[in-house]
Amino acid sequence: MDLLLQLMMNGLVNGSHYALLGIGFGLIFATTKLVHFAYGPIYAATAYVCWYSFMQLGLPFWAAFGLCVIAAIVLGLLSYLIVYRPLQSRSDSGLVTLIASLGLYTVIENLLGVIFGTGVKSVQGIDSDVFFLGPVFVTSFQLMQIAALILVGGALALFLRFTRYGQAIMAMTDNAEMAQIVGIDTRFVALLVFAIGSAIAAVPAVLILLKDSAGTHMGFSAVFLAFLSVVVGGIGSLRGAVAGGFLIGFVESAGLWQISTDWQSSIAFIILFLMLMLRPDGLFGVKR
Amino acid sequence: MLTILKKTALAGLALATGLASGSAALAQDPESYKIGAILAMSGAANEYGRVMSQGINLAIEEINAKGGIDGIPLEAVIEDHKSGVAKEGVAALNRLINLENTQVVLTSFSGPTLAIAPIADEKKVLLLNGGGVSAALVGASKYLFHNRSLASDLGLAALRHAHGLGLKKMSQLVWKNDAGESIEEVANKYWGAMGGTIAATEYVEIGASNIDTQIAKIRASNPDFVALWLFSPEPGLALKRLREFRFTKPIIGIEFTPDTQKAAGDASDGFQYTSDYFTATEEYPWSKAFSDAYEAKYGEKPDFYAANYYENVYVAAEAIRRAKAQGGAYYRGDKLADAIKADPQFDSVYGGKMTYQENGVAKKKVALFSVKDGQAKFFRYVSAD
Repeated sequence: MDLLLQLMMNGLVNGSHYALLGIGFGLIFATTKLVHFAYGPIYAATAYVCWYSFMQLGLPFWAAFGLCVIAAIVLGLLSYLIVYRPLQSRSDSGLVTLIASLGLYTVIENLLGVIFGTGVKSVQGIDSDVFFLGPVFVTSFQLMQIAALILVGGALALFLRFTRYGQAIMAMTDNAEMAQIVGIDTRFVALLVFAIGSAIAAVPAVLILLKDSAGTHMGFSAVFLAFLSVVVGGIGSLRGAVAGGFLIGFVESAGLWQISTDWQSSIAFIILFLMLMLRPDGLFGVKR
Repeated sequence: MLTILKKTALAGLALATGLASGSAALAQDPESYKIGAILAMSGAANEYGRVMSQGINLAIEEINAKGGIDGIPLEAVIEDHKSGVAKEGVAALNRLINLENTQVVLTSFSGPTLAIAPIADEKKVLLLNGGGVSAALVGASKYLFHNRSLASDLGLAALRHAHGLGLKKMSQLVWKNDAGESIEEVANKYWGAMGGTIAATEYVEIGASNIDTQIAKIRASNPDFVALWLFSPEPGLALKRLREFRFTKPIIGIEFTPDTQKAAGDASDGFQYTSDYFTATEEYPWSKAFSDAYEAKYGEKPDFYAANYYENVYVAAEAIRRAKAQGGAYYRGDKLADAIKADPQFDSVYGGKMTYQENGVAKKKVALFSVKDGQAKFFRYVSAD
C-alpha cells in the first residue's frame, strides 16, 4: 500500500507536468488548428537558454528564467510568422503545416546541438529538499511542478474568462471564421496564443532542468505527452488538457503498481486508443 | 596483309593483357582504403557518434601523416544509424558496400550491428565493433571482431564484485534494449547461482526523462543494492533519483561518463561500476600520445569509446598491412578477417597487446571504479570469467 501511495504521488506530479504542457500546446492547437510539433524543441530551447544564462553567464536565476520565457515567446512567434502563417495563407491543407512543423522540429533540435553541444546540461547550486509525508516522499521541485500548474493554469483560466483578448481567443477556438466576421483580428489572436503557449512551455522546461537535467532530445516526450493530454482531454478545452494530463500521469504511475515497467511506454498509447474508440472527442471535448 | 593482321592481333592481345593486369593491380591496390563507420551521428545517443568519429578521424590523420599504408591513404566514410535504428544500419552498410566499395566497417550499437551481420557475411565485409555490448553479438558474423568488453562481461564482473561485498538481495534497473536485456539475462542466470536473490527488475527506456515510477518500485523492494544495467546518460538520472529519495545502500553499474556525472551531480558519490578502462599513462607511451593528441585536437580528454574506435582504425590498418604482405587480391573483408585470425595479437592503445579470442572478442581487463567527488577512481581489476 505504501508503494501505491507513492505511485499516486508520482502520478500527481507527473500529471501536473503533462497538464501544464498540454494547456500550452492545446491553447495553440485549439485556437489556430496548427499541430505545432516544434513546441517540443522550443520547450527544450528554453531549458537551454535558462541553463546558459545561469551556469555560463552567471546571471541570477530569476533573470535566467525571465530570459528563457522571452526566448520561448520569440521562438514561438518566429515559428508562426516565418513558417506557419505563410503556409496557411497559401494552402488550406493541414498536412502542409503538419509536415512543416516536423521540419521545424528537426531544425530547432539540431540547432540546439550545434549551438550548445549535445551533452547533458544540468544546474548546480540549486538543490531540492525532500519531504516525507508518512511513507510518501516528494521533493521541493516536484511540489513546484504541482504549484506551477495551479498558478499558470489558474492565471490562464482567468485571462481567458475575464479579459477582452481572452474572450477573443475563446471565440476563435470555437469558430475562427465567425470570429473574423464579428471583427476579431484573428491574425493577432494567433500571434497572441503562440506567445502565451510558448511562454507556458518555459515553466515546465525550467522545472525539468532543475529536477533532472536538459538534453537536446527532451522535447520529443514533452510534445508527445502534450499532444496526448490534449487529445485525451478534448481539443479546445483547457480543463480537458489538465484532465488528460492527470489521467496519463496517474495511469503511467499508479497503473504500473502491479505491472512491469516494461509496459510504461505503451500505456499512454493504450489510453489514447481507448479514448479514440470510446470517446473520440476526448473527456471534455465538444462534439462538432 | 596476313602479317599486318597478325601484328594487329598481337598488339590487341598485348593491350588486353596490359589492361587486364592494370585492372588487377587496381583491384589489389585501391586509391585509398575506405574505412567505413556506422555510428550514432544523430538521435538521442548522438554523443556516442561524436566521440567515436573523433577517435576515427584522429587515427586516420595520424596514419596518413605517416604515409598511409605503403603510400595509400586511409579515408573515413561515416554513416549514421540514428542512435541504434537497425534498418538505418542496414541501409548504411549497403551504401558503404555498393557506393564506396568498403571492405572494413567500424560498427556500433548492438541492434544495427546484429542487423548488418548477415550482410557482412554474404558480402565478406570485415566488421570491427568498439561500442555494441550485447552478448548476442558474439558469433553474429564470422567477420565480426570486438575490442569492447561485452555488456554481459561487464555485468558479470559487477555481480562478482557485489558477491565479494557479501550482498544478497539485488534490484535491477535495466536499459530496455538488447544490451540491457543481455545483462539482465546473465544476471538472472548467475546471481542466483552465486547465492543471491532478485527483489525487483524495472525497465528504463533509452532517453527516458522520467523514471520516478521505476525508482519508487525499486525503493519499495528494499534491496541490499541496486544494479544499474544502463548506459549514459541514464545512470545519472537513476543515481540522482535513488539518492534523492534517501536510498543509501550500494549502487553498482557498468558505465560512468561525463554526461552521467552531469546528470547525477553529487549523487554520483559512492557509485561503483565496472568498465573498459582507458587512461593515459607514462608507462604506455602510445596511450599518452593518443590522449594528448585527442585533447589538443578536440579540447577534451578521450573516453574509452574514442579510444576503442581510434584503436579499431589501427587494427584495420594493421590487418590490411598483414593481408597485403600475403599478396594476391588482399583487399577483401574475408582476407582481412583471416589476417586477424592468423595472428590475433594487436597493439592496444590501452597499453601493451590485446588478443582476439576465438569468439572474436578481444580479451581486455575489466576495471572496477568508485566515484568520489565526481571523479571516477580506479579501484582494482575484476574478472568476468
